[in-house]
Amino acid sequence: MADKPVYEEASIDGQPPKLASIPASDTTVWADASPLLQAACAGLRDGELIHGDNFNLFAAMSALEIMDPKMDSGIVCTYYSIDEAIENGAAPIPISLDSTIDVRCTIDIMDHLLACEAAWHKGHSLAQTVFSCIYLLRLDRTAPHALLHSYCRIIRATCKAVVSVVSDARTHEEEDLFTMTYGLPLNGDGDDKCLSILNAVEETISRQLRACKATSSKRRLPEDLEPLQSNSNLEEGFCKALLCRLRFRKHFFHVLSCMKRPQGRGLESARKHIASCLTELESILESADFLRSCFDESCEGDIDDKTTASGFEPIGFDAMLNSRLSAPTPPRAIKILSWKKAVEYFVKLLHDLDVICSYSLDPHLESLLRFVVQFQKSQPDLVARSHLQLLLVQDGKLYGRDPFFAVINKAAALPEATKNHDIQKNESFLQLGMLVMNLLKILCTNAAWQRRKLGKFLQDWRVIYVQLELAFRNEYGEVSSSSNDENTCMKIFQHILLWVEEQTYWIAFRFLILGFELELYSTGEYCMVYWYLYAVLIKLTEKTHLMMAVSHDTAKRKGKKKKDSSKDLARESRIPPAVLFLQCYICLAEGLTMMLAALRNEIPVFHSPSPFNTEHEKFVQHFELLQRACIPDHVSYPSYKESTTHARFSTLAMYNYFKDAQRIAKEVKSSFSNDPERLAELRKLEQVAEHNSVAQNVICRLGALDPSLKVSFEFSHHPFFATVVVKRS
Amino acid sequence: MEAKPEEKAEFEEAEIEYVSYGGEHHLPLIMNLVDQELSEPYSIFTYRYFVYLWPQLSFLAFHKGKCVGTVVCKMGEHRNTFRGYIAMLVVIKPYRGRGIATELVTRSIRMMMESGCEEVTLEAEVTNKGALALYGRLGFIRAKRLFHYYLNGVDAFRLKLLFPPPRQVL
Repeated sequence: MADKPVYEEASIDGQPPKLASIPASDTTVWADASPLLQAACAGLRDGELIHGDNFNLFAAMSALEIMDPKMDSGIVCTYYSIDEAIENGAAPIPISLDSTIDVRCTIDIMDHLLACEAAWHKGHSLAQTVFSCIYLLRLDRTAPHALLHSYCRIIRATCKAVVSVVSDARTHEEEDLFTMTYGLPLNGDGDDKCLSILNAVEETISRQLRACKATSSKRRLPEDLEPLQSNSNLEEGFCKALLCRLRFRKHFFHVLSCMKRPQGRGLESARKHIASCLTELESILESADFLRSCFDESCEGDIDDKTTASGFEPIGFDAMLNSRLSAPTPPRAIKILSWKKAVEYFVKLLHDLDVICSYSLDPHLESLLRFVVQFQKSQPDLVARSHLQLLLVQDGKLYGRDPFFAVINKAAALPEATKNHDIQKNESFLQLGMLVMNLLKILCTNAAWQRRKLGKFLQDWRVIYVQLELAFRNEYGEVSSSSNDENTCMKIFQHILLWVEEQTYWIAFRFLILGFELELYSTGEYCMVYWYLYAVLIKLTEKTHLMMAVSHDTAKRKGKKKKDSSKDLARESRIPPAVLFLQCYICLAEGLTMMLAALRNEIPVFHSPSPFNTEHEKFVQHFELLQRACIPDHVSYPSYKESTTHARFSTLAMYNYFKDAQRIAKEVKSSFSNDPERLAELRKLEQVAEHNSVAQNVICRLGALDPSLKVSFEFSHHPFFATVVVKRS
Repeated sequence: MEAKPEEKAEFEEAEIEYVSYGGEHHLPLIMNLVDQELSEPYSIFTYRYFVYLWPQLSFLAFHKGKCVGTVVCKMGEHRNTFRGYIAMLVVIKPYRGRGIATELVTRSIRMMMESGCEEVTLEAEVTNKGALALYGRLGFIRAKRLFHYYLNGVDAFRLKLLFPPPRQVL
């Protein structure tokens, strides 16, 4: 940009061009730059670019073409500003002088706001959704309209509360859009009183409802109460439609407040409010019939796509007014959820929150991890996941209550007394506590991000193991002393080292199986994935079994004293059910690896080399993070090749791992009769085993002979163990 | 009203001519193809960034003088690896399904390999089965899933191709 103007005259007639919105001031004046731009256009030929020291082609990519609606967020679409929109009647107060229409329009605004709120929760910006409402952007001017005013206030307070929860949970990257509130009026004076304002309005409408019912039963009505609106036939319907909407907002706000209370103290109350929310949502859905039929005019278009129950377009919304607040480039037009889908979203959100509120705050880490994994299976959205994260980790403690060393102490099957041991002040143990805390946070995030973080996390767990092991060897390298405290310290180290290994393999296991859920593996890669899974499961099972043996010892020492009955001995020699469960996994992994290896070795179409690289590169890429952390040791591409290169249909026929899996699954079911989740999974594992066993037999008998045989893999029974499907093409 | 059935162009694969980016005269052809098919608006500077700095990585496919496909790429240092990146790949609808896109991409990747790239990467929508199959056949894996990567809420895969280490010359 030139410092000195090259052209000093303004436009041709010497007058600055008139602009309605941006007037010249004492120190500024408008000047016509057209001749300058004209000359500049002729100054460069096609393909030439001015190269500055700090302006290169890469920087040029950020250029915007002014007046291109896809690039220029300053472009005026409807109104230049919120004030202009209001001046032009875009958000009238009252909405209509006809009180009936005014009420209906108010309900439309409430419904559309619900749809906007759901769209926001689902990943769009607040500016383009909830705050596309002009009434919300200038909330103070709604004061004369009690209904609208109270509703907008609680919406604003609710959004602020939700933003706060999600910000505190510190979700990342792709979900950061949620918390962007720059320039939006989220903080309102007096919003802390929004509930009492809402209650007052609710009370009035309740009395209006009672009054109109009293009229219909011909009792005398109080003379100082004005009806809600002027059409007596519609009074009851409108009152009810409004009441359920107001009550939903009230109870939802209470849910958020209760869940915020520390150490889970508000969870039980939250559940009551959640139940009320669900009831009100039912009523809201039911009100749709009334709202659609109360006017003669019907609305165009598919009712299911509409963002309001009545089907009418809401008054007072303009998503473009905030476009300059959003980002340098204008936001893409987004589709607000339909009203029906919005209600469905909130029903799901409430159910997910209810699951969280029902959780028993189990101090056992293993149970907690299973709970979180199970919770994630229903694919909860960001708001639900953030609430879970905040419940689990508060003030650096589990549930804001249990210090992480105590949690680890319990998980590592150490005696209760050691949880207060000084050793927890040791740097390595402090770091371990942080790792557990971070693990819980990571497990609450969306699957895609979670997997990436878990992969990187493996290194941290490996390092802490090495550190602890080093510290242990330094302290107790020479085993001689028999002082009590030293024995305790040694025991703490031993247990925790074992537990860290188990956890590390669990994380590796989770990393691998999430790849199936996220569809990161193509069919040609299944063989190496199942092989690696098999290797990790072997180690996980080994450590889990050791951990259980060690925990059994601790329990024995603590409790049963000398009563070693034969029953106890028998129980000791049995393999614990949890370990058998893992062994079922191992059989399935091994079976699938071998079958896939045989298929690729015997049938050409299963082995399609790519022109640019080999299976080795794919192996390196998929398992880079595991290899780097040496999880497990002695596992590499050559060892994978060695295990699978000789697989043939003939070798496959010699052993049916799926039958083993079936047998184990059947046997172990009775041990999990009190655990519906594990029982359900065992049934799925049985199904996979059964189908795959049959498929293996067919393939072995016919595979090499029948070229029309088509083998495919589906995840119809189990999320990460594929069911083999054999068809004739 | 039913959509018009897609008209497929009739041609022999040998009739397709593949040309390396040759200069300013190719730029409007590339821009028109990409603007037509992809939803993201690119300014002319974005195109110039790619074709000026890495002309040897962009290719065009012609059929009887008409430009029917293009690929636009770059390469450079990224966290200690020399990496190629496929920015845009377009083949007009009547010419799809005949291997033109594969050929365009293959030429570009070969050039990247010869220029010393260790890997090649790109993003693709998880729903874009065609692209995923194409790149899968060439040796790309799905390295990451990116949640809600696209503004319409669709996830993306980051696809990566790792070249084998160069053979030692004895």
